[in-house]
Amino acid sequence: MRDPIIRTEKVDKFYYSGRPEEVRALSQINLEISKNQFALIRGPSGSGKTTLLNLISTVDRPTRGRILLLEQDLSKYSDAELSRIRQKRIGLIFQNFNLLSRLPAWENVSFPLLPLGVTEGERRRRSLEILVRLGLEKRVNHFPEQMSGGEQQRVAIARALINDPEIIMADEPTSNIDAESIGTLLDTFRDLKRKGKTIIVSSHDPIFLDYCDGTFFLKDGNLVESI
Amino acid sequence: MKDIMNRHLNLLFTAAGNLIRNRGRSLVVVLCLIAVLFPFISAIAISEGIKFQSLISVEEGADIYVTLDHYGSNAPISLQHLERFQKMEGVVKVFPRVIGRTYFADRLATIVGIPAEEISRSIRLVQGKMFREKGEVMIGKALAKVVHLQTGVGFTLSPNPSKVFRVSGMFDSDMTIWSSNLILMTFEDASEFFQMRGMATDILIYTRPGHAQRLAREIMGASSYRDSSEPPLRVQDKSLVKRYFQRGFNYKAGVFTALFTVAFALAIPALLVISGFGQAERKKEIGVLKATGWQTQEVMEMVALENLIIGFTSAPLAILSAMVWMKWLNGAFIAQFFIAEIGLMASFPVPSRFLPLPSFFAFLFAIVLTMIGGLYPTWKTATVPPAEAMR
Repeated sequence: MRDPIIRTEKVDKFYYSGRPEEVRALSQINLEISKNQFALIRGPSGSGKTTLLNLISTVDRPTRGRILLLEQDLSKYSDAELSRIRQKRIGLIFQNFNLLSRLPAWENVSFPLLPLGVTEGERRRRSLEILVRLGLEKRVNHFPEQMSGGEQQRVAIARALINDPEIIMADEPTSNIDAESIGTLLDTFRDLKRKGKTIIVSSHDPIFLDYCDGTFFLKDGNLVESI
Repeated sequence: MKDIMNRHLNLLFTAAGNLIRNRGRSLVVVLCLIAVLFPFISAIAISEGIKFQSLISVEEGADIYVTLDHYGSNAPISLQHLERFQKMEGVVKVFPRVIGRTYFADRLATIVGIPAEEISRSIRLVQGKMFREKGEVMIGKALAKVVHLQTGVGFTLSPNPSKVFRVSGMFDSDMTIWSSNLILMTFEDASEFFQMRGMATDILIYTRPGHAQRLAREIMGASSYRDSSEPPLRVQDKSLVKRYFQRGFNYKAGVFTALFTVAFALAIPALLVISGFGQAERKKEIGVLKATGWQTQEVMEMVALENLIIGFTSAPLAILSAMVWMKWLNGAFIAQFFIAEIGLMASFPVPSRFLPLPSFFAFLFAIVLTMIGGLYPTWKTATVPPAEAMR
């Protein structure tokens, strides 16, 4: 196994913990993802894929257990430190894209740069560069509602890449886009892997099986298979 | 250092951009703030305006006012005291005055009986002539307009309808309130009207500079040795009268501020509700910002800047609205709280003064209101895990 970039140890995630309606979303998850790996988290709907991706991307906290990023225990990090990790190391692509409806494409891509003090000119230059690379040169000033699902997803990918992160995580990236966009997405991931990035995708779509070099299969919140 | 500066500038421009993008919500919040703030600014301006005019009139008035003290209230004083006061060392002049109030065409009017030559410098004759003869009166321009009186017209007043007055002239004054309710006449006419011959409501004493306090003490001292069958004298010098005025207006302004504070307190939850419009979308937005690397403090700074912009926009607009309200609507609805019997629309220019301190408080209130409305929900959202905020 190469150097682990993310490791989980006995991670549990319960919602409404201790209450009658408690939901055990994840139970005792142990996994390891190494640098430059293309990891696929698989499983049926409701198996806990999104929850696991949220935990390892630090946008949510586990109920129990440890998550280590480059062997550093994330539970010891403050809210501000976790924000900085997300800003510099992790690029997130959400299932429903989570674009800000009132911002045009280039601003949606560049807003993670605002707290870094990057000037407007530089923000625009960098977002344009990525948007052009993703074939969105004609959509730079379009608002999300003026774009197709595939285009919105490419904007979300551009936003995830704007800070040149080491890890790119995507949640169900093929669920809201057409076949052509899926092709573009796979090309993008392949390209990113070639550049040494770590890619973690949660999806029930078997299309990723040909591209990934590590698979984790979840069922009812349990990790039942790691390849 | 440059990055830090750029970061704050980025957040400022983003805050401004957010307000423009959500212009409907921003406009509602600004309008609500103006609605809350401008009555307060107007009221304080009116209070200060009246106080200012009143203090000028006190300043122009006598140095000592003497009445009888009837269980702590002013009571009419006999004219027999005049001669004694005139002979006192340091006295320049002494004259009696009758002041009383009566209803005139359902309006409360103030009658002042005073020697014509002793009328305040602030009063300007604008029509007719000064009262000289028995039964002649000079009436404030605004009052004359309301009760439809012209120079030369005769009229009677309710408590003593047997006495007929005739308007000899009309006056205007820098003290705009005076022109709204004052009827000036000779001392004799006023004492006859109020049926208090041989008495005055007060005796006005003008002194040489520096003698007022000593004379006030001497008059008081002499009063304590007099026949105990007559109530003691009540002596008020200029500084005491000033204090009474100030206390009276401060009390009124205080009552208004207390009422306003209640309204202000009610406005906070209303503003919370208003600023909560689109909160679900805002919650998701904050979640996305946090998920893409923004820190809680950066989100808070952006929202605080939004609120600052709202506050700094609302407060000057509220001050401007108050000025417009005073100039074009003459303090309608608000002035009546400070000036009795003027109704919704005053018939004279309501005095007002816009001072820096109330304006500063307007800014402060606007910012406090928006901060309470904006920062708390933001902090609550920004401190939960982003996944929860985005859900």
